[in-house]
This record gives sequence, structure tokens and C-alpha cells, in this order.
Amino acid sequence: MKTAKRILMSLGLAAASVLALVAHATNYSLWINGRTGGGQVGNHADFTYWGPATTSAGVNKKSVNWDGYNRISSTNGGIRDALDCYCTGTNWCYVAAHSAGNLQIGYALALYGTSARYKKNATPNASGQCGNADGSTQTGWNIKWVDVAGGAAGGSELADSGDWALSEPLVSDLKTSTARAMYNHNSTSGKWFYMYAGSKGTLYSFILPGQDDEAIAYHSSGGVSGSSGGSYCNPSDWWCNDLTTGSGANEGGRAKWSYHSVAFRDDGESYNHYTNGNWAGIVSKVRADMAANAQ
Amino acid sequence: MSLGAAADGRRRRAIGRARAQGRVKATRARAQGRVKATRARAQGRVQWELLLAVATVVLAAWWMRSGPDDTGTRVKLAAIAAPARSGDSEAARAGAARAASGASAMAPLSALGEAQRREQIALWQGRLARAQAALSAYQIAARYPHESRPIEEHPDQVRPFAPIAEDRALRMPGGSATQGVHLRTTQERVFASANEASRITLTLQDDNGRALPLRITRAVLHEVNPPGVAATAPPFNVPVNDDGANGDVSAGDGIFTAVMQPAAQGFGRFAGTVRLKLNLEYAGQPGFLYFDLVYSPEQAAQWLPGVREVLAKGSLDLFIKAQVRLPGRYVITGRIDDAKGQPLALVNFNGEVGAGEVEFRLPVFGKLVRDRQPVFPLVLRDVEGFLLKPDTFPDRVMLPRLAGVVHSTRSYPLASFSDAEWTSEERTRYLTELGQDVVNAEGKLQQLGP
Repeated sequence: MKTAKRILMSLGLAAASVLALVAHATNYSLWINGRTGGGQVGNHADFTYWGPATTSAGVNKKSVNWDGYNRISSTNGGIRDALDCYCTGTNWCYVAAHSAGNLQIGYALALYGTSARYKKNATPNASGQCGNADGSTQTGWNIKWVDVAGGAAGGSELADSGDWALSEPLVSDLKTSTARAMYNHNSTSGKWFYMYAGSKGTLYSFILPGQDDEAIAYHSSGGVSGSSGGSYCNPSDWWCNDLTTGSGANEGGRAKWSYHSVAFRDDGESYNHYTNGNWAGIVSKVRADMAANAQ
Repeated sequence: MSLGAAADGRRRRAIGRARAQGRVKATRARAQGRVKATRARAQGRVQWELLLAVATVVLAAWWMRSGPDDTGTRVKLAAIAAPARSGDSEAARAGAARAASGASAMAPLSALGEAQRREQIALWQGRLARAQAALSAYQIAARYPHESRPIEEHPDQVRPFAPIAEDRALRMPGGSATQGVHLRTTQERVFASANEASRITLTLQDDNGRALPLRITRAVLHEVNPPGVAATAPPFNVPVNDDGANGDVSAGDGIFTAVMQPAAQGFGRFAGTVRLKLNLEYAGQPGFLYFDLVYSPEQAAQWLPGVREVLAKGSLDLFIKAQVRLPGRYVITGRIDDAKGQPLALVNFNGEVGAGEVEFRLPVFGKLVRDRQPVFPLVLRDVEGFLLKPDTFPDRVMLPRLAGVVHSTRSYPLASFSDAEWTSEERTRYLTELGQDVVNAEGKLQQLGP
């Protein structure tokens, strides 16, 4: 009996010591949703927007839920809270974003990415905010790289044309001119944005220029720079400039935003914009990449 | 000293004490000696139990740290942790593969094990490439500070005040596009404050760029409010003309002009988006178009004349002055050209300031000057800025644009500038972590073998 008690006590002591070690440095995978939302805001375990929470999607995955409805600026605080929680102190993050989640992480990095951040304890409350680790601060967040599926940082012509509800606050932010003027998209503090661009769009092909995933055209999902959109396609389309893979300029000479690289161009026209609650569409490619490389 | 070494020391001392006691008192109390020896063994057992517990929890913690999504990593780490003799790479590979396949340590490498090893190699090659790319990008970026960047890093920021030009279809929402025609539009700005205005142009062209007769049937400016929130000001009918007046450059050229100026059009107390909706018609085909202007009636700060320049620590700091009315985080951005008009740098300030007279520091970093060797004097031009308000909309109060040349610097010899790279805690933190990722991936690949 005494032996058992001793073992239990030893286990407790050892566990406390080791948990302190574990808390010392941890990598996290942050998932930032797009329009429509669905997950409970502040609940980083709720993957409703994406698919089954049991699916492998990077080490220590967290769902940075925001409502997917209101303005980027008024909801970005929740994104910054999550970055503070998991990406400060000795903790490091990989970030995955879908659609308007691209605007969220881009906005946070460009406008607040060089600000002083309190180091947090990676233990969020119900609102998704964490306590201070030791009261000290650091400059910016610890982010290794960012994966983006169907990125809407360049806006969508569906917002331009009134096809999406004009009364929806987020749709105003998704107007191409507004999305591109919102912040300097080149300012990522040297972190790579890996862009995954789907092209299985047919329904809105007469509105969305070039290739699209049915919500976002290549000019945005491929990170093409500029104050407005443009037509970019797969190489098989002879009537339209190619969206090139990698970080180099596109056919026709227009550059991508700096530190943006097209990691996947959907030459087979196989991936649309939608997760279908099962990590589907272009998100499936990012999920696979996160599962393999965000460790 | 490690936990294990301390426990060993205590155990040795306990056993030593028991032996000494046994020697001194052997003739007197063999039984007592046995008791002491038993105690010593008990103490030793306690230490072993502690060691066992620590080992168990370490393994459990390692498993936990890998996370529920990390099955693959656990297998890989098991592979890396497989015992291998120094210099015996075959044994290491076999051990790794056996661990990866879950096979007995003594069993020969199975076909499945080899396949899994290959899979692990491919996976870690990918991770290594990713780690190298992250490190390399950061190394390149971190030569210069955030506030002073090479202009080629910001291809769409070189001419910030150029109108936004777009090519759109003539159609109604939900409808099909009229074929063979293009609506070409420009918009002067997206964000405005106080009395600022945004000039809009639009023209309808055929595939060859010839202007087509376009009719604007309605042009209304109104507030955009969240659902359920009533407008504070009535809609305003905006004149749209092609008569060479009221902002229109040239009469009768088919390019129509409208001006959005919220303060002068009844929205002077409104903060938010004002939207210009246009209903159009061409050859009986209707079209719809809208332009947004994110507006704040406030005035956050006013520029003050003069720019102070200081050559310090091998860099040239330009201080642009303002009278700040609203304290908070200001984001100020300017462009640096050399004397030949060659764009050199994007310089910026992003920080919190109080109310009163303020100088925003826009640094031209020494190494950037040394690397690009611009022709002096340098020119600061096209400065823009705003007060950034967190967690609200509108999130900014714009400062008036400072278009064109704002300041010309003195001339300095190149040697006045430092060629040292940027240093900071942030840079060190990143290079250490990203470098470690590369080392880890390389190490794991080495252990997995060719």
C-alpha cells in the first residue's frame, strides 16, 4: 500500500516537473475560418466550420473561430487574442486560413505584427483569451509560416457585383478594391504565405475573372499584387495569363505579394471553395500540408 | 545535476552507510545489520520507483506533447529514437524502420518496414525543405528592419495615390453579363476622413477600347449600416457627368465622373461606409455598379511643416511632424527615391503616440543604402497615414495625403552609412527557432538514412 502511495506521489511530482517542461515550448496549428463561420467564437476546440475535429490537421490544432459575418477590423481582436495565446513566449505557430481568414491573418500581421505582445500562457478562457505568462512582452508573434486555401485577401468580384448580400458587413470588406486597400499585403514580417488556389468553379465564371473556385478568382487565391483584380488562369488556358506557381511574377509580369508563394495551382480543376463540413475542396490540400508539415 | 544522477548518488551513499554500519557492528548485531541493510534496499527501491515514475511520465508527456493529431510524428520520433551504434548506419536504419513498422527489434527489416522508412524519408525531406524556406525567407527579410524595406518588396505600394482601375461586366446582380462590352472604372481612394473626397470615373467600352453610349439612370450615395440600424442621413443624389465640369476632365469623351465627398453631401457626422450605387443602361441592357468609401468625420492629426533629418547609428532618420489630436496607434508610410527618381525604399512608422506635437520617425536603414548605393539627395514622397483604432469599424482615421515630394535630404557619403544587418531580440528569436527546425529535420533525415 505504502509502495503504491509512494509511486503515485512520485508520479505526481514527476508529472508536475514534466508538464512544466512541456509548457516550455510547444508548437500549435491555428485554423482561421472564412465567411459564414459556424464554430463557437472563443472556443478553440470547435472545428464545426472545417470538419471532424478528429481529423489530423497539424500539431496541437486550434480553431480560431470568428463569426465570418462582421467586418475584419471589428472581429480581428479575436484573431490577435489567439495569436497572443499560442504564438508568444516559447510557443510557436503554424497558421492555416481559408477565404476571408486570409484577410484576418494578413490584417493582423500587417497592422499589428510589429507591436509589443504580452507573452501568454496558452490557456484560453471561454472568450478565447489567455492569461499573461510572466508579464513580459515581445515584438510580434512567433509564426513559422502560413497556409492559405482559397484566400480572399484580394477580394471577390461576387462582392463587387452585388451577388453576395450587400447588407452583410463582411461582404463590404470583400469588395476587391476595399480588400486590397485594407492593409499592405506585402507586410508579412518575412513569413511565407503558401497559397492554395482551386479552380473547380463554373457557376460564376462569367463574373469571376480567369480561373476560380466558385467564390474566389486566382488573382486573390494566388496572391497577385495590385489595387484591383485581374484574369489569371492555368497554363492550359491560352487566352489568359498564367498564374505561376512559386513566388515569381505571373505571366504578363504582375508580381505576387511579397513572401507569397503559390504552393498549389489547381491544373486539374478539381477543387472548389467549400469545406462541406468535411475538410473538403481546396481546404483539403491545406489540411494535408498542415498534417504533414505543421509539427 | 540530473534527477537520475542525484538519485544514484543518494542510493550509493545509502548503501555505503549500510555497509559501514555492518562492518563496525557485525559482531554485535548481525540481525540489526540485516535490518539496516533491508532499510537501505528499501531506500534503493524508493529511488528506483522514483526513476520508474519519472521515466513513465516523461514518456507519457512526450506522447501528449505529440498531440492527438500527431500519430505520424510519434512513429517518426520512435524511428529516430531507435538504438543505433555509432558509425553503424545500416543498424540505425534497420532500427528506425523496425520502430516505424512496430516490428520486433530483432526481426529483419520487412518490406512494409522499408516502405514506411521511405515514406518517412519523403515526409522529412518535405519538412526540411519547408524549414529551409522559412529560414531563408526570414534571413533575407531580417537584413533590414520592418520600418525600412526595399521598395521592390512592395510592388503595389510604389504609386499609392494612383486611382484604382477596374474592369467590370455590365450586368445586374444575379444576371448575365452583356457580351462584348467592358465597364472600366477608377476610384481615387477607399478610405477618407473629414472633408476628403473620392473621384470616380466610369466608361463603357467595346472589345477594341472604343467608348460606347452609356446612360446613368440613377446615382445615389447612402450610408451602409448593419442590418437593423437606421440611417442617420438621407440618401444623396450624386451628379454624374461627362461635361468637363465638377471633376470631369474632358467633356464628351465617354468618361463619366462622380465625386463622393461625404462631408459635403450630408454625411458629415457619419462614421462608416458610404456607398454610391449606380444604375446604368446600354442599348436596353441594364447594369448595376457600386463604389464604397470608408469614411470617418474625425480629424486625428494635422501635418506640421518641415521634416527633420538625423544621420545616427549609420542610418538616416527622417522625422515628419504632426499635431496629434487623437492619441493612439498611428501607421505612417512614405516612399524614398534617389536623386534620379529611382525608387529605393518603403519607410514606415507603426506605434502609439500621445496627443500633442509628435515626430514620426521614418528610417532609411544604413545597410539598405549601402546595398543599393542610391544617388543623393534622397527624396521622401507620397506619405500617407492614419490613426488605427483596434476592434472597431471604421478602424482608421486618415491623415491628409502628402502627395509628391515631401522632403529632399542632404547629400551624404556612402561611407556614412553602416553596412551592418538589423539586429533585434525578435530577429535572434526567429533565426534560432527556424535554424533549429532545419537542424532537427536534417538530423532526422540523417538517422533515417539514404
